[in-house]
Amino acid sequence: MVQGYWCLVLHNHLPYVRHPEYEDFLEEDWFYEAMTETYIPLISIMEGFLNDNVDFRITMSLTPPLCNMMADKLLQDRYYNRLSKLIELAEKEVWRLRGQEPFYSTAKVYENKFKQCMQLYEKYNRNLLSAYRNLLNTGKVEIITCNATHGFLPLMSSDRVRRAQVRMAVKDYETKFGRKPRGIWLAECAYYYGVDKILKECGIQFFFVEAHGILYGEPRPRYGVFAPIYTPETGVAVFARDMETAHQVWSADVGYPGDPDYREFYRDVGYDLEYEYIRPYLHSDGVRRNVGIKYYRVTGRVGLDKKEPYVPQWAINKAATHAGNFMFNREHQIRYLRNIFDREPIVVSMYDAELFGHWWFEGPDFLNFLFRKIHFDQNIFKPILPTEYLEKYPKNQILQPSASSWGDKGYYEVWLNGSNDWIYKHLHKCEELMCESVDSYHTNVLNGDTLKKRVLNQLARELFLAQSSDWAFIMTTGTMVEYAHRRTKEHVSNFLKLYHQLKDNRIDVQFLEWLEYKNNIFPEMDYTIFI
Amino acid sequence: MNEERKDLPTSVVSSRIERRIEFTPEITDLPRSYGDTKIVLLPRDPWWCFAYWEIGEKTMQEIRSIYGENLKFILRMYDVTNVDNFNGHNANKYFDIVVNVSANNWYINLPETNRSWCVDLGIITPDGKFVMIVRSNIVIMPRFGVSALTDEQWAVLQREFERLLELSGVQMIGKGSFDIAKLMRERWEELMAISQMPQFISSGFVSSFARREQQEVVPKEFFLKADTELIVYGQTLPDAKLFINGDEFKLTPDGRFSLRLSLPDGEKVIPIKAVSSDGTVKREIIFVVTRSSEQK
Repeated sequence: MVQGYWCLVLHNHLPYVRHPEYEDFLEEDWFYEAMTETYIPLISIMEGFLNDNVDFRITMSLTPPLCNMMADKLLQDRYYNRLSKLIELAEKEVWRLRGQEPFYSTAKVYENKFKQCMQLYEKYNRNLLSAYRNLLNTGKVEIITCNATHGFLPLMSSDRVRRAQVRMAVKDYETKFGRKPRGIWLAECAYYYGVDKILKECGIQFFFVEAHGILYGEPRPRYGVFAPIYTPETGVAVFARDMETAHQVWSADVGYPGDPDYREFYRDVGYDLEYEYIRPYLHSDGVRRNVGIKYYRVTGRVGLDKKEPYVPQWAINKAATHAGNFMFNREHQIRYLRNIFDREPIVVSMYDAELFGHWWFEGPDFLNFLFRKIHFDQNIFKPILPTEYLEKYPKNQILQPSASSWGDKGYYEVWLNGSNDWIYKHLHKCEELMCESVDSYHTNVLNGDTLKKRVLNQLARELFLAQSSDWAFIMTTGTMVEYAHRRTKEHVSNFLKLYHQLKDNRIDVQFLEWLEYKNNIFPEMDYTIFI
Repeated sequence: MNEERKDLPTSVVSSRIERRIEFTPEITDLPRSYGDTKIVLLPRDPWWCFAYWEIGEKTMQEIRSIYGENLKFILRMYDVTNVDNFNGHNANKYFDIVVNVSANNWYINLPETNRSWCVDLGIITPDGKFVMIVRSNIVIMPRFGVSALTDEQWAVLQREFERLLELSGVQMIGKGSFDIAKLMRERWEELMAISQMPQFISSGFVSSFARREQQEVVPKEFFLKADTELIVYGQTLPDAKLFINGDEFKLTPDGRFSLRLSLPDGEKVIPIKAVSSDGTVKREIIFVVTRSSEQK
């Protein structure tokens, strides 16, 4: 008999990185790598479940920047070229390594994977959003949105600006998926008092918080993190993260991805192979970097030079074992919770989607085994979507969640510390000027001034892009910091320049066109979301 | 890992716009200030706030013309928890921090959690008077710790609640994050530390969680579970304001209140304060409840 439910939430996000002004741009790799390693493989396993009648449930947040990149013709074509090159390299590798086991088997794995990616990519005419729309229609996958550009809501200057972020998300979701989003992923799970009111206004029914968002809520949560709650007055449902499952996958020492049989991320042919051979697959600057083919396994706590060769069969077996272990632990956890509760508990596991495939190469295989095992091998718990659980249990405790985030230490420090606190002065100023401009020029637009309308829309785009929490995050983590500085400065200075042109009534059309061409996120932008 | 990129031509044919756009964008440095006089308060975590400020040139000149050149700037932090329409004089309490005004920002350590704060940037005159220059927004701090409030409909025994918190992972809150970037960096640093590659600065830091064994405690046959809770109740005028433990509590239409509180071992002080609607009359009753348990 079913004793409870498991809700898997995968957060799919990348900042909007698109540089038409360069033929080749390093940071665009984030998108191309995640496409090959995570997004396409995940779609592929979900389609596999459908073909084999495996009953599964996955909740996916697809952030607006990611959806906009997937829908962008330039990036679609660039990815096609990148993937073609990767296939060419994999084919060369299969030839080079013939007869050399276990390297040959691994090369074959890459060749097959890349070719399958291409097949799926072409099936959907290079636009993965079509694939997600299909999945959404099956009712087994819930796709939720995320506030506009993954802006960090608690550190914005006003509810008016926060509201615009959420409205943009809803608008974008509607154009991409043909209906309103039921749920939202607040960027970084960052909740602050009053955000639920905005969500309610936008018709959003549920969101997610870190465990202490509910545990530290008021009054005391009756079911801990194992049942949703409703926010007071607004009645938006809130689900909190289960720490046990987070720990099982993430922990540096007991987490699955660190297993010795799994692929080592840092030992890449981009560094290992002879320079002239690998050169055509590097960026145009010719600097050695990861290209995405790796032949070694984690091995243990040894140096990169001491890594042992990867054996695909061992890794697959290990993914199956780990899936079994994960399922066993859920059975145990859910059975126990059911004994102490007067209702069926829900265990919510939230992960960055890019963990599966990009960092943990075997992650998609793990999920593939896991859902199949859950379907065929046990009947203690079932996977579920948030809305399904709310239908089953519409009556829930009313509780004021605590302000929190899922970042390091659980609050806002990752996005507000000595490395990035300087950005808020500028962001807040732009937020203020955005509202002021909309108030001042909306009447002109209503009277037919289309140029001012374009300026207001572009101001909104520049502001949203500047607000991406990714820049503050990167400044904290300390890698690629220069790019994060550059993007923050770029969008703030574009904003200010355009604002002054608007105010002084001497709009430089060429400059505006340039910005519209370069920072083209949200083609459906409508600045009235700020009203 | 952050190599320089070779600059490439800045014009390409766009797929959206038919013609070539010849334009070299420049990223200008951001303004040092915007000429405003303002102060903004942001929450960082339950213990820290961040304030940044700016004083416009004109305002600064005015201040100097009145109070002279030797100015002592302070941040006055007001505890405005449950204060309606804060006006500078009705805060619960305040404390001052002497700052260097040109620092432009400050991290403020708070003496108490779960309160609301507002900050004034101002000066202290030689005769000790505080002159406000500009006031910030009000910030409700993120909560820390489990609430003492239980709601009657969803009540649970103290011991069960503690078990529930443990199952929910309360012990892991704030102990570390699960984010890929951090995980990847840590793995990289670890690898560099043991890979004998001297060109990298080594740092062998590895994040780890305390491992906890999850053990079921299933009662065997005969057992006793017991707990106590505390119910505080009463009545005042329906339009009065009621505060329990300093937190405002909503009265029923006939002015009644009833609140269920957890009651762990030890002494608990529960101040109950009613303030008339015009704020002129106050009544306060303080309960001191002691609980001690023993098992025989």
